[in-house]
Amino acid sequence: MAQDNLLVVENMHLYFKTRNGIVQAVDNVSFNLERGKSMVIVGESGCGKTSLGRAILRLLPENVCRYDGRCLLNGEDIMELSDEDFRKKIRWKKAALVPQSSMNSLNPVIKVSEQVAEPVLLHSLVDDKDEALKRAAAAFKKVGIPVDFLGRYPFELSGGMRQRVAIATSLITDPDFIVLDEPTSALDVLTQANIMNVLTRLKQQIDISFILITHDVSTSSEIADMAAIMYAGQIVEFTDARTFFGKPLHPYSERLMESVPTLEADDKLGYIPGQPPSLINPPTGCRFADRCNERFELCSQDPPEFVVEGGRMVKCWLYKESGERYVS
Amino acid sequence: MSVNKNEVLLEAHDLRTWFEIKKWGFLHVGFVRAVDGVNFKLHRGESISLVGESGCGKSSLAKTIIGINRPTDGELVFEGKSIKAASDGGMSEYKSEVGFVQQDPYGALPPFMTIQRILEEPMIVNGIKDKAERQSRLEEVMTELKLTPIVDFLDKYPHMLSGGQQQRIVIARSLVLNPKLIMADEPVSMLDASVRVEILELFRKIQSKRELAIIYITHDLSTVRYFSERIWVMYGGKIVEQSPVRELLLEPAHPYTRALLAAISEPDASNIDKFKKVPPGEPPSLLNPPAGCRFHPRCEYMIAGLCDKKEPPDFELADNRITACWLFKDKEDASDVAI
Repeated sequence: MAQDNLLVVENMHLYFKTRNGIVQAVDNVSFNLERGKSMVIVGESGCGKTSLGRAILRLLPENVCRYDGRCLLNGEDIMELSDEDFRKKIRWKKAALVPQSSMNSLNPVIKVSEQVAEPVLLHSLVDDKDEALKRAAAAFKKVGIPVDFLGRYPFELSGGMRQRVAIATSLITDPDFIVLDEPTSALDVLTQANIMNVLTRLKQQIDISFILITHDVSTSSEIADMAAIMYAGQIVEFTDARTFFGKPLHPYSERLMESVPTLEADDKLGYIPGQPPSLINPPTGCRFADRCNERFELCSQDPPEFVVEGGRMVKCWLYKESGERYVS
Repeated sequence: MSVNKNEVLLEAHDLRTWFEIKKWGFLHVGFVRAVDGVNFKLHRGESISLVGESGCGKSSLAKTIIGINRPTDGELVFEGKSIKAASDGGMSEYKSEVGFVQQDPYGALPPFMTIQRILEEPMIVNGIKDKAERQSRLEEVMTELKLTPIVDFLDKYPHMLSGGQQQRIVIARSLVLNPKLIMADEPVSMLDASVRVEILELFRKIQSKRELAIIYITHDLSTVRYFSERIWVMYGGKIVEQSPVRELLLEPAHPYTRALLAAISEPDASNIDKFKKVPPGEPPSLLNPPAGCRFHPRCEYMIAGLCDKKEPPDFELADNRITACWLFKDKEDASDVAI
């Protein structure tokens, strides 16, 4: 298949050691992202979506006890690189991150232009500071901040503007993809719509991919070409967003979509009873089985990843026979 | 027990809450007009949603209504009695009639108290001395909120519960005094989507069973339809539109409401190529709000010479709707103004 993959993740594991046991935050996750496409990772809090984003960028805390798998960026296995090489060649040059609530972590005593310019200086992509500030001005233009804001301090900007500054910081080194961790969850509806417009415009204008990490299914539909649904450390469904929003396959995805309030529909909202399992000693079978109303005998075993019609991946025993939904 | 739904429970006349800004602790700089001329009528057993962006004054209004902030001007009338004139005793009686559900359940529950103690506290403070009575009320609210089996919870501390359970404890605590009005400040915004709906439905059920009046504060217009009959939209310290929910969602009147509705995302794959229409600019500073209508600098239907000069009064429309926008002067229906 002549598919041009930007990022291929295979059997990624990320386990943390805690006093209570080993937390399987990312457990055997595989997906591939084509060049020029954007994806969204949706899941409830504590399902490991932020850990997956950090595992790709190798931004790990101290207590990691298992970190393996393959991660191919432009065909090169970046898991093989040493930490120093990874920092120099990959992080920020090829792959940048907009961390959760980064708009609140700007340094209050440094002008925003200097904070935005910092990555290009650190990676010696430019010769002097003037050049760096010019690139910062260009990045500001891309995200729609007036250029005269360059000399301001973070407290002189509103929340939406600060979020744009955080996005500008990740854009300035021209990375291949950006991981955005909950970029709009702390913002108001109007500001949220503004930021989503910025991202959509960037996608159309420059060659960049976004990996959006969010719990908000509604806003994710604004920029995602692919959707990955995560539950208890695993990706349970990975599909084309166009088909996904119309017809989710995995029972968890279905329940999740039913719980999203909409303005026009008159249907009753659904919800998922119970709670996600603990990632310390998760159930050996399907991790959603306890909360699933379509459970049957096979669910006590771990379901493999079935590929059904249209290349959609779904990790559920209901699809074991050639993609047709199994009815017991 | 049945309440008369036409009876007004709480009324506000030109309510204002201003906060003074001082320089060096004593020089007067100005006032933040967080609540600036709010009028409303809340009926018994009615569920209202108060919607607005952060910084529009909705939490200040909430705190004024439950008596944490003293209003600078105007008055609140609860069951026909003005609260401004109330003595300290009258005030604490009023506060026991109004329950408060906080936004962040973990921050609202003291970590060193057991659930038993947390739920008993309001009753002890309000002088319910009979221990058996306290216990029976506590068990009643816990059953209502499906915190069963009760004994499993009583000796636990807040950190041992999940976010959804913590939020249900907060709601239970607001109900133990059998209030007539509940103020719920973004009660589900900290919870996951899958739990959110469960809590809202439960809350709604209790509201209609107990015939409580609820003011549900949110910035999320899409959950409102599942919870309320009426909606108030707040902008820049004022309520700009009051309307039944269905009519508002189908046909928003005020330009700000229209902008809010247009900005909401729905899970739909066709969104991907579309841009949202968002009014330019930012919400006004409440320290120095624009003259005339506060939305006029961002409004595309601004009438020069009117909107930027004179503050719009409340215009009454059909279907029991009120909007403060000059476009609706001498109009009877929201559809009369085609935009």
